[in-house]
Amino acid sequence: MQHMANMSAVRDVSLTPAVDVRGLSHVYAGREGAVPALSDIALEVPAGRFVVIVGPSGCGKTSLLMMLAGLRRPTSGTILCDGRPIAKPDPARVGVVFQEASLYPWLTALDNVEFPLALKHAPREERRARAEAMLKLVGLEGFGTRYPHELSGGMKQRVSIARGLMQDPPVLLMDEPFAALDEQTRMTMGHELLRIWSQTSKTVVFITHSLTEAVYLADEVIVMSARPGRILDRIAIDLPRPRTYQMMATDLFGRLRERIWEQIRTVP
Amino acid sequence: MTRPSPRTVRRLIGLALLVAWEAIPRLGILPELFIPPLTKTLYVLWLDRAIYAAALLVTLYEVAVAMLIACGVGILVGAVVGGVASIRNLMLPVFSSLYAVPIVILYPVFTAWFGIGSESKIAFAGVYGFFPVMLSTAAGIRTIDEQYLIAARSMGASLPQLIIRVIIPASIPTVLAGLRLGGALTIIGVVVSEMLTSADGIGYLVTKNRTTLDSPRVFAAIIVILALSVVFDLAVRWIERRTLIWQIAGRRERPDARTSRGAMPAPATA
Amino acid sequence: MRGSIIILVRIAILAALLAAWEALPRLGLVNPMLLPPLSDVLKTLVTILGRADVHEALGVTTAEVVVAFIIAVPLGTALGVLAAENAYFGEIFRPMLFYVFSIPKSIFLPMFILVFGIGFPQKVAYATFSTIFIVIMSASAAVESVKAEHLLVAQSYGATPAQILRRVYLPSMLPILLEALRISMIFNFTGVMIAEMYAARTGIGHMIANWGENFQMPQLFAGVILLAAAAMLFNEAVRALENRCSIWRT
Repeated sequence: MQHMANMSAVRDVSLTPAVDVRGLSHVYAGREGAVPALSDIALEVPAGRFVVIVGPSGCGKTSLLMMLAGLRRPTSGTILCDGRPIAKPDPARVGVVFQEASLYPWLTALDNVEFPLALKHAPREERRARAEAMLKLVGLEGFGTRYPHELSGGMKQRVSIARGLMQDPPVLLMDEPFAALDEQTRMTMGHELLRIWSQTSKTVVFITHSLTEAVYLADEVIVMSARPGRILDRIAIDLPRPRTYQMMATDLFGRLRERIWEQIRTVP
Repeated sequence: MTRPSPRTVRRLIGLALLVAWEAIPRLGILPELFIPPLTKTLYVLWLDRAIYAAALLVTLYEVAVAMLIACGVGILVGAVVGGVASIRNLMLPVFSSLYAVPIVILYPVFTAWFGIGSESKIAFAGVYGFFPVMLSTAAGIRTIDEQYLIAARSMGASLPQLIIRVIIPASIPTVLAGLRLGGALTIIGVVVSEMLTSADGIGYLVTKNRTTLDSPRVFAAIIVILALSVVFDLAVRWIERRTLIWQIAGRRERPDARTSRGAMPAPATA
Repeated sequence: MRGSIIILVRIAILAALLAAWEALPRLGLVNPMLLPPLSDVLKTLVTILGRADVHEALGVTTAEVVVAFIIAVPLGTALGVLAAENAYFGEIFRPMLFYVFSIPKSIFLPMFILVFGIGFPQKVAYATFSTIFIVIMSASAAVESVKAEHLLVAQSYGATPAQILRRVYLPSMLPILLEALRISMIFNFTGVMIAEMYAARTGIGHMIANWGENFQMPQLFAGVILLAAAAMLFNEAVRALENRCSIWRT
């Protein structure tokens, strides 16, 4: 019986997409008049999915992510998260992991992770305990007292992820989180992210320039066009889970990668 | 509705200042003793043009010699202090600590030593300009991209070749920055010292006419000094435009002045 | 190990300079009237430090420096933040500020004297005037040093404007603001000194100028040593604080 109840709960959640974008367009005021940045974006991400967005530079990926995070307002269209609109940042529903160097250099790793709860004036012991648990989750147990400049690039991004998970939001947005890392660290971090994802069952929207990373991580890859950004294609990645490095050498991996590349390459 | 460009606004502010300068004393808002009308000031400047020209010549002579000392010695010492690691570690913190001392307190020493003629002005302005030029050169020399040196060495450059073909061209922006700073500072140093104790020069005219409460002549001298610093600024800009390529080359993306102690671009304190 | 060698060499150089200061006039290599031996100067320093008129002058000068600093720093910081936050305002005034740096501010001393006389208010007004521009520039630079990503993170976690000010702006700006404090004190001190040397009835700058005019070289050098030591002491104290706060900048 217990099992059945759980099943129906899962069913219910999955009926409402974790992220639901409808008819979203964005125009910003440039030097020479209005510049269309995003055009008619529709995107449904079921709960627990790992979605990766790729596209040429300047296609509005980051703009889209900013809007999902409630940091920027679209010109038109709606964004629902858990069925409710996102009008301003709501860290309880959406956590964000930024590109490099978004940690506060004057705070220790632990204090950085605690930052979101410190803003909410959460009790000290509670947030400390939670932050320590998050650091453990990302594999940085015992590094809490270090300052960002005492951490490697990969470790910094682990701290960023821990911070994004701090308020246990159902949705985690990631804006090229590993772009500044070297290739080896990047692969390791991708793998680590999948482990963390499988342990926390978050919905992830992940932006990257690396097609290999996209195929390796994603349940589904969204290919966007050059400005004004539109969704060109949605490619289901039916590689089995858990992913392994060996999969990168398979034909299927290569074909999926090739298919994304074709889409981006033919963009005018 | 678009806002007027910042440049237009600046020009309007400048114009408004000039108009205010004329209108405020004429309308009796402030007494003419505090601020004589602009036209009256220009008129006495024209009347006494011979006096002002002679004073300006004295000032220019002092500025020229002091600039030679401040920039010449400053750039040289700065290059050595910045370029040689052991001297840098030894001396740079000491120099940047000395920079905190208001050099103007040395001026009475110079007048006692050199009298109230041009020599004490030159000594003071030279020392006044020296420290910032030296510090900025020392900081600038260190921003030369090490890649240039490594690349040249990999191509088999000898030490003289390295100096002539890499280090000197790469130092030009630093030297120019030193000249600009040193020039502005020596003008300030000369004017300040002429105002304090002297018998000639444009700064002396400010003080002399102040003690006799001859405000139009005080402001006439101020106009000459302002014109002097504007002309110097324009001249430096002209040189900088002509050597623009050097400005772009030779330097790292953005030398972080703060990571090196005492590398702060040291502006005029007086 | 290397650090201690450097300090030893520095002490050796300093000792050599001081020894030369003592020996050259004693040996008659330079005129002791122009450069009195160091020991005489130090004896004079002790004597003048016991004089009531010097106490009074030091008190006046200190008060002028402190009051001008208290006015110039908050006012300049506010204007600098405004110039940095409002791009339009900043674009208008920044070139004007740069120009102000290249002109001798002392030429406006006659106006300050006409308006405020030659007493305490004039010293404070002139020192404030000569300090405020560097404070404005430093505060602008401090605001611009706040990283956009750091603001974005705070916003994405729903920080209020007050929280952003306290938790992002303040810690980001702190090292530069401390540096600004240090540099503006140099400007401030110089401003007070020039104003006192130019026209005053009291104050240590005024005394130094008088000693110079009257060829009282031991007193003059004693005063110079005293003021230089005070300036360097303040400078190093703030710099020590600065270094503690800027560990994370690297």
